[in-house]
Amino acid sequence: MRPRAETTAPVPVLACGEVRTCLLPAFQALDSRTAAQLLRLRADERVRVSERPNLYALSPDVLTGVDCPLPTANGARVRAVGTVAARAALTEGRVLQTTAYFRIPATGPDVRRPWGHYLVRPGMLEPFGKLPEQAVVEGVLRDSQRGALDLGMIAESLLAQLLRHPLLDQKVPFKSRRTHLRWAAMRAPDGAGASIESFVVSEEGLRTVRLRVPEGTETAAVAGLCEDFALHDWLLTTVVRMLDRSRTGSVDGPEAILALRPAVDHLLHVWMPRARVDRDLGHLWDVLEQEPGFTRQWQTLVQRIRDQLAVQAIPLLHKALAMS
Amino acid sequence: MTGPVFRETAAEPRTQSVPLSHLSLELGHLYMEDFAAGPERLREHFAEVRIWVDAAKASAARRLGGRRPRISTCFLIDDYFTRFSTPAELIPQVLAEAERAGLTIDYLARESGCAVADKVELAESVMHRLVESPPPGTYGSRPPVGETGWLANGQRTPGARTAMAEVTEWQPPHETAARVHSVFMDVELWSERDGGRLWSCPFLAAVWQLARLGLLRHGGEPVLVPRARPTGGFPHDWDELPPLLQLTASAPPFSAYRTCTLVGNRFLAVEDAVRLILDQVDVDDGALAQADERSAREGAPVPEAVAQRVTYVFYEEP
Repeated sequence: MRPRAETTAPVPVLACGEVRTCLLPAFQALDSRTAAQLLRLRADERVRVSERPNLYALSPDVLTGVDCPLPTANGARVRAVGTVAARAALTEGRVLQTTAYFRIPATGPDVRRPWGHYLVRPGMLEPFGKLPEQAVVEGVLRDSQRGALDLGMIAESLLAQLLRHPLLDQKVPFKSRRTHLRWAAMRAPDGAGASIESFVVSEEGLRTVRLRVPEGTETAAVAGLCEDFALHDWLLTTVVRMLDRSRTGSVDGPEAILALRPAVDHLLHVWMPRARVDRDLGHLWDVLEQEPGFTRQWQTLVQRIRDQLAVQAIPLLHKALAMS
Repeated sequence: MTGPVFRETAAEPRTQSVPLSHLSLELGHLYMEDFAAGPERLREHFAEVRIWVDAAKASAARRLGGRRPRISTCFLIDDYFTRFSTPAELIPQVLAEAERAGLTIDYLARESGCAVADKVELAESVMHRLVESPPPGTYGSRPPVGETGWLANGQRTPGARTAMAEVTEWQPPHETAARVHSVFMDVELWSERDGGRLWSCPFLAAVWQLARLGLLRHGGEPVLVPRARPTGGFPHDWDELPPLLQLTASAPPFSAYRTCTLVGNRFLAVEDAVRLILDQVDVDDGALAQADERSAREGAPVPEAVAQRVTYVFYEEP
């Protein structure tokens, strides 16, 4: 993730993370300046702000030190020490995301090293002994286990810290739910490119993604891809719910317009898959576009909203004509 | 061409580099009462320091395989906790006594410059970069150090229970990196006072070490940049003195791959606390990478961990 002249650094074989995505609780979307203020997690480090092809701000990484068992599916106990990186991103001043993530090599020493050793490898955990890779992948994607590494808690505490920021007036323009996306990226076989093995949408706003990425892929790039997935999945989830609630067809006039208008005001322009996804990972979007077809669904939703608004406008037009 | 066609500078990370010597050598540290004791005390101080300066220089040259190392010397005056005299009176005295011992002070700094330098809150920035060493069992749920103001090298004795709870047996603290037995240390980073935080001496000294190691930046820009000696003599107010002054025009760069601090043995506890802090600071990535890369290219790679780049000589005070 961070460029560093390291010759002794172990090679990671697995990277995992969890993304939380939510609507920013502010009546107005933030402009680039206020977005940078919100995401200024450290006094001395700049927030990276980009205005093409859309407005996007990314905080610096902040680290959390951990020394605990990794979650595993088969109950195997493997202790890991190091730092988990967490960062926050704000898209179009409206959708806030936090990610906690780490990368880990296949083996590590059986002793804990001085803390300074871990701090110069930000975002890396080292296992005690051999890493039971498959069991950890399953464990991370499942619900958290008592006393084991909890990426969700780290992502959530950063999100909670940002949501308390005095810049936010806590006035949400519409109701929405948070989503959690957990991801695990194992190493692709030598010579193979990145691939996506599964994308599962579960209940309670949980999504899980399994990837394979070539050796040397920056963990921050994988985190960026998964944030992009999470953002667009959240947009679909949110707009589908909005249409559900608007009871299309059964309510008339102003009520239906009021229910759908927030989508037009706040969400429709946010859709822009792979706006900043790493060049070597962008093609993974094609898989989701093929099946289930994220953009296809989005276009249908957008069309429905526009049609609804047009249909609701007709009686108003009639009324206006009759009055004249 | 393989690079991206389109770029946005505000979206890219950037860290300006700073010139680096091989060694930053600090010529002792004095409390205000030492200055108050007059020039004789200063004379004895620098005479003792001189002996260890020669040893530190020889050690740096040995590391470079006999090549001539770039070594800059510095001296820090405490104007943060107590104030004594004026720069116009004190500094010429210090320089004269150093010179009498055959020493040159290349850079002179004010301790309050480690708290705030040129309107940049250095101590505050470093505080935001503390990442606590987690005791075993930490899975992501500890309160950040920013809330407590204390930093330890292990797990504290559990706090006293409320009156309702049963009386529990005392539990010892535990040093995380203990070898069989613990040497537990808990360092106060600041205290609250009217008008803000009073940073502790070890915390400011940790900031000072990071500055000497060239690892501090603000928004990617260098901080505590040395300024030339004022032309019309030194000012009469400490606040008018730049936080870092370059006294020798031809001196090697202020910051360096390594630091060596020569101090009286009364500072042992403070400096141990400094190392405890340095071991838990997540320094600027870009700055760290620059020092790693350049020192390796010069054939004198720095130790990986930041705290290991800092060495000391503790001597008996005259």
